[in-house]
Amino acid sequence: MRILKTALFVSTLGVLVACGGRGGSGDRTIIQNKGSDTLVNVAQAWAEEYAKKNKDVAVAVTGGGSGTGIAALINGTVDIANASRKMKQKEIDLAKSRGIEPKEWVVGFDALAVYIHKNNPKTKYTIKELANIYGEGGPTEAWSDLAIEVPGCQSGKIVRISRQNNSGTYAYFRKTVLGKNDFKLGSNDLHGSKDVVDAVEKTPCAIGYSGLAYATDHVGVAEVAKDANSPYVKPTVQSAVDGTYPIARPLLMYTNGEPTGAVKVYLDWILSAEGQAIIKKKGYAPVR
Amino acid sequence: MFDATDLNASNRRKQRLVKMLFLMMTILLIVPVLLILTVLVIKGGPVLSFEFLFSDPKEQMTAGGIFPALIGTVWLVTVALLASVPLGVAAAIYLSEYAPDNWFTRAINLAIINLAGVPSIVHALFGVGAFVLFFEFGTSILAASLTLAVLTLPVVIVATRESLQAVPRAFREACWNMGATRWQTIRRVVLPNSVSGILTGVILEVSRTAGETAPIMFTGAAIFLPFLPESVNDQTMAMSLHLYAMATQVPLPEHAQALPYGVALVLIGMVLAMNAISIGFRMWLRGKKKW
Repeated sequence: MRILKTALFVSTLGVLVACGGRGGSGDRTIIQNKGSDTLVNVAQAWAEEYAKKNKDVAVAVTGGGSGTGIAALINGTVDIANASRKMKQKEIDLAKSRGIEPKEWVVGFDALAVYIHKNNPKTKYTIKELANIYGEGGPTEAWSDLAIEVPGCQSGKIVRISRQNNSGTYAYFRKTVLGKNDFKLGSNDLHGSKDVVDAVEKTPCAIGYSGLAYATDHVGVAEVAKDANSPYVKPTVQSAVDGTYPIARPLLMYTNGEPTGAVKVYLDWILSAEGQAIIKKKGYAPVR
Repeated sequence: MFDATDLNASNRRKQRLVKMLFLMMTILLIVPVLLILTVLVIKGGPVLSFEFLFSDPKEQMTAGGIFPALIGTVWLVTVALLASVPLGVAAAIYLSEYAPDNWFTRAINLAIINLAGVPSIVHALFGVGAFVLFFEFGTSILAASLTLAVLTLPVVIVATRESLQAVPRAFREACWNMGATRWQTIRRVVLPNSVSGILTGVILEVSRTAGETAPIMFTGAAIFLPFLPESVNDQTMAMSLHLYAMATQVPLPEHAQALPYGVALVLIGMVLAMNAISIGFRMWLRGKKKW
């Protein structure tokens, strides 16, 4: 027993020594920032940049999805919740019943890109075609239904890549593309924005949706038209800002009431020219 | 009496076939482990450097190192151990040395077995409800480590209880007959003879604690934190969450593709190193065993 105790004691000491290397003051202000996977990289970029210029305020960034962030705001465990969808009325009511007044901030825009395999010859889709692929009761099951053949896709069946249901990306795609309809069963629901792009890159039969910021050279990005009479538009920062790309959404942050102190200074900085230059660099559209 | 007869050809063939089959399956078991290690070493090896281990991540994890995550994992594992080992060993001592065989003890045993089967994400939610919100520890190392401690308690209890029961009953009886109390017997005879088994439980716990992601994701670990934790009330970064974020959230440019493999290699290396130390310690203790 004594040996065991000594081992524990020594390991504790080890930690203390290892961590004592960078002593700091205890009066640092910490801003808790949690939520959307879509926003997590920009949130990280902001926090990283902010740490360089402001040593007294530390921003802790956590992901988990828009739903996770909003739930944390309702529970009062975060200062700023990131969301890639608006809060539902039900969530706002629940927050208010707990004495929390959600205040919404638009911090940027994101074009939701439709990803296809590099070899897929069909690079233009209307919203209706996407709904037929993804929506419940939609007739499109195989690439041959769209009169094309995808090289390398032996089964010919469309592999639908989607997101888990607490994702803001999932909610936004459903609202904008499927309308009131639900998703068809049997899609592959992945847990990260980047996962979707990786999966499509490796699967010739696949189609998926995710933020434009996750686009790589190894995957095809489709042009999307609002309806058959509208032009097909490539998702870019520009087309997201001017609204010509039909599936672009605002990126949001929520605070409890009018922010004060360090949280207000941080939000002001995010919305300043400096903060907005960072979001643009990460592949999203700035607010101004 | 039976006379030994020669195996006939058919039986001999079957014998050989079955033996080969089982051998194949055993080899199959090792293949994934070897594959994982090979891939990690080949792809992650070139990333490793002094700078990778001891500098902060930069450019949203696409450059720089993993130091805050490394330190964070050490914090989480240590605090979890400090919480679960005394508790688990105490519970095991009670169950093995004191508890009468009645419905109450059986219920406790059943609860422990069930606790071991609870998925880690359920532990995570329990941690949020109990430690973060109810006890108001907030998202902190304390909340995350306690969640990990609850998660790994069954491992410690079961391993400790088994090693206590491996001490021959005759030892205890001899001790009692000399007039020693139960506690004196436990302290002087049973525990010293079972330390090596208890350590096995601790080793298993360390490996599991260091690798778990779900229980710490909501209770205390952050994807990005611009400072190192200084007390158990701070949040922290952690290796497992760092790897998860890199693999699923961060668009890695071409030059950073190898980074997640490096992180995984360090995580596995860390666990192996901790295990090696404990195993060495255990062998040394076993060498001192007199029976």
